[in-house]
This record gives sequence, structure tokens and C-alpha cells, in this order.
Amino acid sequence: MFLRRHRWIVPYALLTPGLLWLAAFYVWPAVQMFVSSFWSGSVERGFTFSLENWTTYPDALDRYSTQFQRSVLYAGAATILTFMIAYPLAYAIAFRGGRLKNLLLFLVVAPFFTSFLLRTISWKIILGDDGLVFGPLKTLGFVDDSFRVLATPIAVISGITYNFLPFMVLPIYVSLEKGDQRLGEAAEDLYAGPWRPGGTIAGAIASGLLFALLGVAFGYSVPIMAAAGAVIGAVAGTLFLSEGFIRVTLPLSLPGVFAGSLLVFIPALGDYVNAALLGNPGTNMIGNVIQSRFLVNNDYPTASALSFILMVAILVAVAIYARLLGTESLTEGRRL
Amino acid sequence: MTDRPILEHAVTRRAFLAGTSMAGFAAFLAACNAPGAATPTPGGATTGPTEAPTEGPSAEPTEKPSPAAELNFANWPLYIDTDDEDETKHKTLEDFTAEYGTVVNYSEVINDNNEFFGTIRAPLEAGQDTGWDIIVLTEWMAGRIVRLGWAEKLDLGNVPNYVNNLVDVYKGPDFDPNNEYHAPWQAGMTGLGYDADVTGELTSVNAYWDEQWAGRVTFLSEMRDCVGMALARLGYSRTDVTTEQYDEAIAELQKAVDANIVRAFTGNEYAEDLVSGNVVLAMAWSGDIIQKQYERESLRFTVPDETGTLWYDNMLIPKGAQHKYTAELMIDFVYRPEIAAQIEAWVNYICPVKGAQEELAKIDEELAASELIFPSDATLAKVERFRTLTEEEESYMNDQFSALIGV
Amino acid sequence: MTAVAATAAKAPALSVSVRRLLDRYVLRLYVILAVAYLMLPIVVIALFSVNDPIGRSNFAWRAFTLDHWLSPFGVPGLFDAVATSLRVAFLSTLIATTLGTLIALALVRYQFRGAGSANLLIFLPMATPEIVLGASLLTMFVSIGEPPFFPLSEFTILIAHIMFNISFVVVTVRARLAGLDRNLEEAAMDLGANEWTTFWKVTFPLILPGIVAAALLAFSLSIDDFVITNFTAGRTVTFPMFIWGSYRIGIPPQVNVIGTLIFLIAVGLVALSVVFQRRSARA
Repeated sequence: MFLRRHRWIVPYALLTPGLLWLAAFYVWPAVQMFVSSFWSGSVERGFTFSLENWTTYPDALDRYSTQFQRSVLYAGAATILTFMIAYPLAYAIAFRGGRLKNLLLFLVVAPFFTSFLLRTISWKIILGDDGLVFGPLKTLGFVDDSFRVLATPIAVISGITYNFLPFMVLPIYVSLEKGDQRLGEAAEDLYAGPWRPGGTIAGAIASGLLFALLGVAFGYSVPIMAAAGAVIGAVAGTLFLSEGFIRVTLPLSLPGVFAGSLLVFIPALGDYVNAALLGNPGTNMIGNVIQSRFLVNNDYPTASALSFILMVAILVAVAIYARLLGTESLTEGRRL
Repeated sequence: MTDRPILEHAVTRRAFLAGTSMAGFAAFLAACNAPGAATPTPGGATTGPTEAPTEGPSAEPTEKPSPAAELNFANWPLYIDTDDEDETKHKTLEDFTAEYGTVVNYSEVINDNNEFFGTIRAPLEAGQDTGWDIIVLTEWMAGRIVRLGWAEKLDLGNVPNYVNNLVDVYKGPDFDPNNEYHAPWQAGMTGLGYDADVTGELTSVNAYWDEQWAGRVTFLSEMRDCVGMALARLGYSRTDVTTEQYDEAIAELQKAVDANIVRAFTGNEYAEDLVSGNVVLAMAWSGDIIQKQYERESLRFTVPDETGTLWYDNMLIPKGAQHKYTAELMIDFVYRPEIAAQIEAWVNYICPVKGAQEELAKIDEELAASELIFPSDATLAKVERFRTLTEEEESYMNDQFSALIGV
Repeated sequence: MTAVAATAAKAPALSVSVRRLLDRYVLRLYVILAVAYLMLPIVVIALFSVNDPIGRSNFAWRAFTLDHWLSPFGVPGLFDAVATSLRVAFLSTLIATTLGTLIALALVRYQFRGAGSANLLIFLPMATPEIVLGASLLTMFVSIGEPPFFPLSEFTILIAHIMFNISFVVVTVRARLAGLDRNLEEAAMDLGANEWTTFWKVTFPLILPGIVAAALLAFSLSIDDFVITNFTAGRTVTFPMFIWGSYRIGIPPQVNVIGTLIFLIAVGLVALSVVFQRRSARA
């Protein structure tokens, strides 16, 4: 009865335990981090705070702009790749999984209950220069002897893609699964008939974007890559994406796509282990810089400033993305 | 039957030692008959501290506290002997408990010098107890801790075995001239690790700049190990490197990066790449190659003719440790030759304890004759330690090195 | 021109039949391939768990043995590390999933002042690089300087894991809640159910898949976290810390055994529940 009369209390009551936890164990450390970005000094001489040290920010941005850009590229490419791999998988589990739904879902996540390091070592054994895959290919002369995947940008992007895959599959699955698939099929019948551009356009956009990013990452001509990607995507989209899917199922899953891409893109931006274990000197990301600044160089101010820049950039990107995708209403409850 | 104790594989080990191209191996064989001859009092040195509390040079007759009920010991993983029968037991620690009644809380929490420093910096800076009584850090990091005043000073009267049995080469480092703050635990060398089937025998650091193996060479991401090789190529010494020489070395390394010779700057993962054949030449740590040779017999470790790096990990008592006296007992305990031999028989790094070789010979003659565990003077003459840097130097050099490796 | 037009006219019919084909075979094949891709490293891990290396390094295949499976904890410290990781993972998943679900409910189902800032606070932990977060958390624990925060312990690891897990839970559960049909709940309320009953009988079952998915993600994050754990662990060793540490000298095959076991047990339990459900459905 109390709650009925004071409904405004309900959201706060729901929020309080979790937000208190974050306030206690996140906000304080975050403020500490912000403060230490204005430090100057060293471990031995001690650190002193001064607002005059704001120059750490432009200096850090200037010095590490390459790694920042590289992080955005790699994380972006990995996000699109995880999306393209995850969507059909989540779709199939949600609508064709039947009784095996839960088992399949578990099979997607359970590999990630084991150690990252063990998984990465395994991939290195599989993709070694003369390993299980490339060894035979090289013997047969299909690929050049000097060809390798490890210690290249491909390895880093693939590593991120693999390791964040469940973070894309699960949210898409949970948003798809709540919908009634018959709706999509009914819509398919509705829109059956003359060709409609939905699938073609969606395929062209997704694939064009991916190819463009890969072009930037590997230094190929971006317009050519984007065009090639768009053509491939348009053909695939026309064949595989029905109008019913584009108009009914896809919108239904948008909150999941939004959530999944955040869960992949944001942590991937700050990731460093994949680049450290699978990359070369030219593939370090901003996370590697922060790691090294902090641990090796004991340069806490720069490490903190870089982290703060990264956080702000992510928040801005998330805001823009939410607006672009039009999911704000979906995710923030404005609808009611 | 899990982690195979090394003793079971005497034959393999012999084959390995015979096949290993250790520079100065012959010289070693000649010299190894009596390396312990230099030990002044091997017999007396094995006495427990309770019997000989005042033996050390700076010892004063003070009243001894009794050993504490527990000792908190932080070490690197797989860095102490493990019982053959029950692999969850460490015999050395049990022996210590049997003798002093102290339970040793032994934790394998140290993975990386910098990372571990990150975890103990905050408490030490705040004047808090880190929770550890003994920590083990590589000499350059040990030097930093000593310089920061974050290590307890040893009461040398409590550690007579340490005072008497420390191998000479570790005495009087620049960061601790009287050996009052640190005690070496194990040592190792950095040199050429390579696949002899592909590269043939290598003896010179110039191999790291050979474009023949471009893309199949890894350098270490540990600054001193990596730059040391470039210094050696340029004919400079690690023990008195100047900033100018350092800059030259970085430029030299940059050439190798620009020529795409360097596949990656790595930590431990180079060993895995050597085994799988992705890499044919690496800057390598001596102890690793012993193990990896079992998996790829053609792997070799050579101390380069131009000099390799000697590094060693050290026990330190962090400031404010709760059981300092018991920690000293432990340090002294592992400097008893028979205990050192017991650890060495399992760990296989370089032993810094005089007399341990004779003790080890009683357990396993072959191991005791290993150049990689008890290197000869000829080998030791070819390795040098990177000198201790001031904070400014270290900061400058780390910055230059970071730029080189792309962070 | 006419040929092109004819082809274009046929395209829809063609694409429908392609799609039928797709649905029947290609999608199924795709699931198999995708699961195989996800599983591949686990297969290699399992393979090396029955390898019999001579030295301490376990990267090259030598001979088959079941020794490591017979003594999965025959490495000092491994059992404690695994037990600690499992405890922390279970508890942090449980608590973070609860707290996160409540936040997601509030954010999606209610309009209130401060929703924007709450949203911000949710995204920030995900966006903060682990190393800086871990180090700042350590500084905080040290400056509190009192139990249970200092000395560091399993409890401080747990605090940290709950903290970084909450955001992932909120985002995942929200994906389920968003756009969920409210009519069902309103119908229940109209029929006289109070909010509490409506939540447990209607809302909760509806969002349960989202909660389960969030819990799975949280569990995988917690059980494999190294960086933040390393800063907040003190004298405690977790499974990932053990693995990263033993990398220097050689990861013992028992680690592969444990890794494989965790995977098998997780999947086995679900497989059992599927079989069980099928039985009870038949009965």
C-alpha cells in the first residue's frame, strides 16, 4: 500500500543498492584517478598536485594519438566482426534452438570460463606459422612460406573478436528470444512479392563499413575497400535478408545489438592483452600504453590522463551511437 | 606423476647437457671439480642460527626473540622444491617448520616485477605493512626498493650462512654494497636462444640484426635485457653504461625494428614461439631453454661472445614486516648448502650458495655438473649485470625504450 | 535490357527459395561451424591435458597419459587458487546479477529524476581501463587501512568483481527488458495481482533469460579476471593469477585439466537439465 501511494520511491529503491556499491567502490577510485592525472613528480620524490599540470592531457593526446586511432579501428572492426558472426548464431539459437536452446547458449559462453591465456596459447598453436592450418597450406604451396597471421593486426583483431564474441551473442539472443518469430514469418508473407530494398541496403551498409575499417587497419585504399564491401553486402543482403526480417525481427533485436556492441566495443577499446600476446611493435593499442605508463614507467599522471580521455571519448561515442540507432527510447524507458 | 621431478630424467638430461652449446663448457668441465674449494667453512656454515647467533661479521650478542608462529613468503610460481610424493608439499618449507615450529604461508603471487611493485607500492608508501615478510624481486627492482628505503635492514648476526655462503659474484652490488638489505634467491642469464637446426650455432649478438631471419626473431620487452644486447653489439658495457651509449643502443635496436627483423617484444611467450617454430632466434633466459629443449631438441642457449646479461632474484624483507626475525631465519635457512641443493635439484636456475654444488652432487651428480646451474668462472666472466640506475636515468631510459617498442 | 528486367523480376522468387534452403540447411550448418569455432581452443586445451611432457613446458605434443586427470590438483597451490576463483565467481555473479537487475528494472520501467546520471554511472566502470581502476581501488583499500578492507583478502577481490560486473549485468538485462510487452503485466494488475505478485509471476519469468545471460557473462568475466584481481588480492591467489604466474616456467598440464573440467561441468550440468526437462515433459 505504501508503494502504491509513493510510486516515485520505487525506482530509487531499486537503484540504491547497486548504485551505492558503485559509488563506494567505483566513484572514489575514479576521483582518485582524476586527481592523480594532475600530479607531477616521481615515486622517489613523491607526487604533488597542481592544476597547472593540465598540460599532461594535450601532451598525452598528442604523443599517443596513433595508439588511440588504432584502438578505435581495431575495436570497431572487432565489434562489426563479432556482430556479423554473432547475429546469425543468436538468431538460430533463439528461433531454431528448440530444446537445445540453453545448451547451445552455454556452449557459446562456457569456453570463456577457462583462462584467457590458455585459449590464446591454443589459438597460437592452431594458427602458428607452420602450425595445424598454415603448415599443410605451405607444404602444398597454397600460401607463401613467409606468410603469417600471428604478430600481425589480423591476429590482434581476430583475438579481440573471438574473446568478446559471447558479449555480442548473449544480448542479441535475449532480445530476439522475447519476440514471436511467427511475426517475422507473417511479415515475410506480407512483403513477399516484388523486390524490396531493405535487405540489400542493410547488407551493403554493414559490409561496406566493415571493409572500410579493415582497409584503414591494413592500409589498403579505403574507398575501394568500402565499395567492394558494399557490393558484396548488397548481394548477400538481397539473397539472405528478407523484408520481413528487416521490418520486424531486426528492429526487435535492436536493443540487443545496441547492448552487444557496447559490451564489445567499450572493453575492446581499453584492451591490451590481445595486442600484447598476438601483436607486433606496430599494433599496440592505447591499453598497452596505459599499462606500460603505469607499471613500467611509473608515470601515473599520464596513465590516469589517458584513462580519463578514453572514458570521456567512450561516453561521447555512446551518446552519439544511442541517438543514431534511435535506441534511447528503448533503453531508457522514455516510452512509458 | 605430474610435474616430473628432474631426477627421473637423468638420461634425457645427460643427452641435453651433452648437446647444449654452452659457451665455455669445456673450460667449465676443467674448473668444476673444485668450485666449492673457495667456500671457507662449509661444515660450520650448516649450523643453525640458534647455535651460532653471533657468528656473522657485524654480529652483536643480542637477545634472540623466538621464531614467530607464521611467516608470509611471496615468491614466483614454481620457484621452490616440490615433494615427489605429495606435490602439494614443499620439503624445504616443511623442514623449516620442523625446525622452528613456524608455519610458512608460501604464496606464488609474483608474476612480474613491475606488477608486483604496483601492488606493494600503495601500502609501503602509506607506511602500512604489505602483509609479506619475504618478497622475491629481480636485482634492479630490489635496488629500487632499497633506494626507496622500503626494505628492512638485515641483522647480519642472524644470517651467518648467508654471510658465509654467498657466491662472490653477488657480493657488494652498487645498490647494497654491504649486502645488508637483500639476499639472492636464484640467478639466471640472458643470451641467445635459437633453433640450431635453422640457424646453426650462434655465438654473436650480431645475429639479432641478421635480416636472414626477419620476422622470426623476438626481443625481450624487459628493458635491461634487450638494450644490453645492443650495448654488447656496440662494444659497450652494461656495468658502466652512459646515457649517450644508451641512446646509441636504442638507435641500433630501432634499425632492427625498421628492417622488420623483430617479430615482437615479448615476455615469457618467446619460449612458446621457439618451441612451435614461429621464432628461430630469441633473446632468451637460460632457465627457460633447459625446459623447452625437452620439447624441441634443436634449441640452444649460448651466452654471446660479446657478453650476456646476468640477473638475479632476491629475497627482501619489506618495511614494516611483522615477522622480521623469522624472515631472517628463513633467509639463513635457505643458505645452508644442503637446503640450497634441495631447492636447486628442483628449480634448476643458477644457485648463489657456496657448497650447494657438493651437496647437490650427493643427490644428483649430473645436475651438480650442469653449467647452467653452477656456471664456471669462464661463463660468469662473459655475463655482466646492468648497473643500478638513478630514478632519473631509469625514467629517461624507460621512456626511450617504450617509444621503441611502440607503447 | 529486357533480360535484366526479367532477371530482376525473378529475383524475389529466387531469393525466397534461397532463403528456404538457407533456413533448412545453411543456418544449421552455420551453428555447427560457429560452435566449433568457439570450441576449438578448448579442444586444444583438453588435448594438452592428456599430454605427457618431459619438462615443465607443455606446448608440444609428446605422449598420451591420464596421469594429470588422476591428480588434477597435484600442483602446489592450484587447488586453493581454483577454489578461491570459483567462490569469488559464484558470489560476485550472484550479487552483481541481483544488484544489476534491480538497476535495469529501475532504468527501463520507471521515469525519474537522475536517470541520466545513473546511466552515466553504469557506463563508466566499463569504460575505465582495468589497470588504473585496480590500482586506484588498491589505494583506496590501503587508505581505509582497516579490516575487512585492509589487509587485502578474498573479500576485497569480491568487492572489485561485483563492482565491474554490475555494468555488464545492467546492459544485458536492459536488452531484454527494452521493448518487452507491458500489457501482460498490466493485465495481471487489472486482475487484482499486487506489484509483488505481478513481478514474480509475470515480469520475472519474462526477463529470466536476460538475467541468466547476464549471470553467464558476469561469471565468465569474474573467473578469468587477472588485472584488477592482481591489485586487490593481497596474499590470495586466484586461478588466473596462478596461470599467468606459472607461464614463466611452464603451465602445468593440471591447469589444462582444470580448464577442461570447468568447461565440461558447466556444459554437462546444462545438458543434464535438458535431458531432465525432456523426461519430465514426457511424463
